[in-house]
Amino acid sequence: MLPLDAAAYTNRWRTRHPGEKALLSLGLLVLAVALPTWPGAAIVGVAALVLVLGPAGLAPRALWRAVRVPLGFVVTGMLPLLVAIGGQPWIAWDPTGWPRALELGGRAVAALLCLLLFAATTPLADLLPRLEKLGVPPAVTEIASLMYRMLFLLLESIRVIRDAQAGRLGFRTWPTTFRSLTGQGAAVFVRAFDRARRLEHGLASRGYNGALHVLVPARPISPPFLIATTALLAAIVASTLLLAP
Amino acid sequence: MHIAEGYLPPLHAAAWGVAAAPFVIHGARAVVRQVREEPDTKLLLGAAGAFSFVLSALKIPSVTGSCSHPTGTGLGAVLFRPPVMALLGTIVLFFQAVLLAHGGLTTLGANVFSMAIIGPWVAYGVYRLTRRLGGGLGLGVFLAAALGDLATYCVTSVQLALAFPDAASGIGGAIVKFGSIFAITQIPLAISEGLLTLLVVRLLVRISPDELRRLRILPAATPAASKEVDA
Repeated sequence: MLPLDAAAYTNRWRTRHPGEKALLSLGLLVLAVALPTWPGAAIVGVAALVLVLGPAGLAPRALWRAVRVPLGFVVTGMLPLLVAIGGQPWIAWDPTGWPRALELGGRAVAALLCLLLFAATTPLADLLPRLEKLGVPPAVTEIASLMYRMLFLLLESIRVIRDAQAGRLGFRTWPTTFRSLTGQGAAVFVRAFDRARRLEHGLASRGYNGALHVLVPARPISPPFLIATTALLAAIVASTLLLAP
Repeated sequence: MHIAEGYLPPLHAAAWGVAAAPFVIHGARAVVRQVREEPDTKLLLGAAGAFSFVLSALKIPSVTGSCSHPTGTGLGAVLFRPPVMALLGTIVLFFQAVLLAHGGLTTLGANVFSMAIIGPWVAYGVYRLTRRLGGGLGLGVFLAAALGDLATYCVTSVQLALAFPDAASGIGGAIVKFGSIFAITQIPLAISEGLLTLLVVRLLVRISPDELRRLRILPAATPAASKEVDA
């Protein structure tokens, strides 16, 4: 299982309506990107961090495991801003680059924490069927749900095949590595389509007429949560405008 | 190359979203029409989407000694056509954002534009052109995957350069800056991806010819053609 998906099913906000969590985390995300980075994104980042570790109850270790790779991308992405090219000498450190790089880093880290607040609290199985209410065609949400259900089986297949190949020294040299990877790619293709065909037969024998009905558990929307969310977002906007230089 | 969450300024994020939307809507319409005519294709498209997601989880070796993952756009575009890939690619990128924190929701539009629209269209165009000029299936998929990959990275470089122009030399300098960082890792990676895609398709021709016929990669089964594939 993917760590973020596991967190989405085990956190304290698991039973909340996805709409509530979307309003909170995506609202924070919009503020992180739209408000001036200092102090706007910094306040948003701290708020998202407190919410994900506190009320949502994600373990700090799980959070670190989820953020370390994207953080690496953020830091790498800051480096080009520290260099200027085309002047004399052709490539040189740009002394004005630091503020821009830090601004970018601050905004990206805050946005990443908001994304994690959403991803670590909302299972996709809860979210996808509800997207129809936002105007996404049922065929699209059903294809996305099928993908979601199939991809874990395929990822597990890849893991097992990779272990078996590694046990047979399949990754010892470049030619063997490519041979092993070819096997993985082709095996996933064959298994994915084989599963689709078996689903097709299974559904056909149960009177499939084109609609995939799934039971979506009813989750009541909590007015206090929505009021608290709106108040938090308004407070962040107000404090940013007050503190902004 | 996914642009990370929050990396683009708000105006750029919104503009790339607007630029990508017509392609994704067109893809969604094509899929909805296809599903209405043949309800069974829903399951095949689910399989195709899951395959595209998992393909990007393969770790391919790079000359620098590190590993990276293929984008899968070339193979996806050749197998499932670019309009369908625009939709499936969008769903895959959304899943990568919320399941792996790879990419992001504010940068989804920019990532969709480079990886689910330009990459697949370039790959498909190169594939069709190669086949029309008399190139074989193998050469076609190799060039499609390698050039589709490179096109994706060129678009990403331009997207980053537009958002962060160089202090001294402006947008042109920034394109060179971001492009040269990518070039070191991405040109070998594009060749690796092309090679891997070629090998996967050659293996599929051998073990799963019926599926490739259904996807119209191989000509419809005639006794002569099936004998050729079996041989």
